[in-house]
Amino acid sequence: MLKRGSKARSALFTLLMLLPGLAGFFGLFFYPMMVTVVRSFRPEGELVGWTGEHYVKFLSEPRARDVIVLTFVLSISATLCSILFSVVLCLVLRRKPRGHRFFRLTMLIPRVVPGLIGALGLLLLLGSRGWVNLFLIQFIPLVEEPIRFNYTIPGLILFYTWLYFPFTAVTTLSTLESLDPAIEEAADVAGANRWQVLRHVVIPLIMPGILAGSVLTFMAAFGAFSIPLIAGGNYRPLSVEIYKQINFTPARWSAASARAMIMAALQVAFLTFYMRILRRPSA
Amino acid sequence: MTLLRQYLRAILSARKLLITTFLLCFGLMIYLPFLMIAFRSVGKGWFGRLWLPPELTLEWYRWAIEVTNIVDITKNTLIIAVLAVTMATLVGIPSGWAFGRRKIPGKELLMSMILLPRMIPPIAYALGVAQVFYRLHLINTHFGVALAHVAVCAPYAILVLSATFEGLDERVLEAASVCGANPVRTFFHVILPLILPGILSSMIFTFTTSYNEFTLTLMTYGKDTTTLPVRTYLAIGEGYWEVTSAMSIILVIPSIIVLFMIQRQVAPEKLVGGFKGV
Repeated sequence: MLKRGSKARSALFTLLMLLPGLAGFFGLFFYPMMVTVVRSFRPEGELVGWTGEHYVKFLSEPRARDVIVLTFVLSISATLCSILFSVVLCLVLRRKPRGHRFFRLTMLIPRVVPGLIGALGLLLLLGSRGWVNLFLIQFIPLVEEPIRFNYTIPGLILFYTWLYFPFTAVTTLSTLESLDPAIEEAADVAGANRWQVLRHVVIPLIMPGILAGSVLTFMAAFGAFSIPLIAGGNYRPLSVEIYKQINFTPARWSAASARAMIMAALQVAFLTFYMRILRRPSA
Repeated sequence: MTLLRQYLRAILSARKLLITTFLLCFGLMIYLPFLMIAFRSVGKGWFGRLWLPPELTLEWYRWAIEVTNIVDITKNTLIIAVLAVTMATLVGIPSGWAFGRRKIPGKELLMSMILLPRMIPPIAYALGVAQVFYRLHLINTHFGVALAHVAVCAPYAILVLSATFEGLDERVLEAASVCGANPVRTFFHVILPLILPGILSSMIFTFTTSYNEFTLTLMTYGKDTTTLPVRTYLAIGEGYWEVTSAMSIILVIPSIIVLFMIQRQVAPEKLVGGFKGV
């Protein structure tokens, strides 16, 4: 009896300790999310009544498809670029070249400084008067006029990659470093050359780490808001599209909410799909 | 034979050269944007195809301080960050303890639920947060903006702290009680020193998150609670690149100092992690 009492008390205590976290979750995330859901079904500017017109209206616009495709193109290409770049970078850093500690820290810079500043710097660097274009004009014979990077899709992909590759790089590096060197040695002894070891042993073994990191990169790129807002120009992914709706006077909260719900649903759907690939036992 | 050896050595050194070039390009790609901002912020009359500004000036910093009122804005940013860190830590310690030390039915599910705010695009719930806060008159208050930041900071604090509590060695606690320490004494003399590094790193990470937070601030800020990232955004919109650059330099220096300061104490790699076993 006494024991059961103390057990119940301990369970109660645990619940009590969990309470702040749960309160934070429900008050600051779940409830606002529900408000957004409800708002997306209200007629514009009213607090009563139900309608699905915002979804229908947005999805039937021909532009909607462009916006959604643009969002996916940007985030998926940024993820792919990050994976490619991170794998090369991590394979290099793993050999502990001179100053590798410095480069490890450098890798984190894009995540530590505010994204806006990074975007501003890249806008200046890649602009028509930036150092990249000056370099191209002076040293590359075929380039006479400045190349336009800013406010183009390849430019945006570069911005996204610059900002979000650390997620992939860090997880890849830590997976790579926890790899048992004996496995590679075994492959080496078995007569595989460097490339074969890399292709058939190392890459398959670190694949889970790469994919786990790339999920983070994808999520960040999909939800990116500040970067396309200042560096997107005419290309507006979903997040900017949402923000534009509430910047109208009067603000179109319901239309914005409907777009936000579509965005969240797309992200969750894609992540579920991605996780399924991730969990699949690699052949 | 010697020829072969020479050939091999050449390939090896070429490899080294390749690696060095790659790392150099990587370093340049990361640091050049900031260098460009720095030059822009002190340059005058930098037009046309010039590599460096022809004249140096501190005028833009004076502008940044006088016109954009950066002192007040920095104060706002810091007040909000401190409030957000305090709240996130107060939420994180008990919940982290429960997650780390207790058997909870459905722990995995609960944890992924707590982490949900980091998986949904911030703009999606920022909309809801803004509407709720309008109703509660929390818009344009330091507390309100900080509370909005807690939505992204708290999951992080809970995650870091639950890992810290999980790492606590049961035997040390037993030893303390065997030696006759009561729970309060155990907490202050044994547990607290052990978890302090975890709390510290959680605080540093939540601070950086709040300091850099843009989306949620943009949805909840007002005239009196403009933070540095939002002001930078507004300045970019106004189109004064030089003044904006000066502001950015002021904004970016603390982050870089913090990064280089904490690199020995806590693994800064954790800054970008956050999900175990996704």
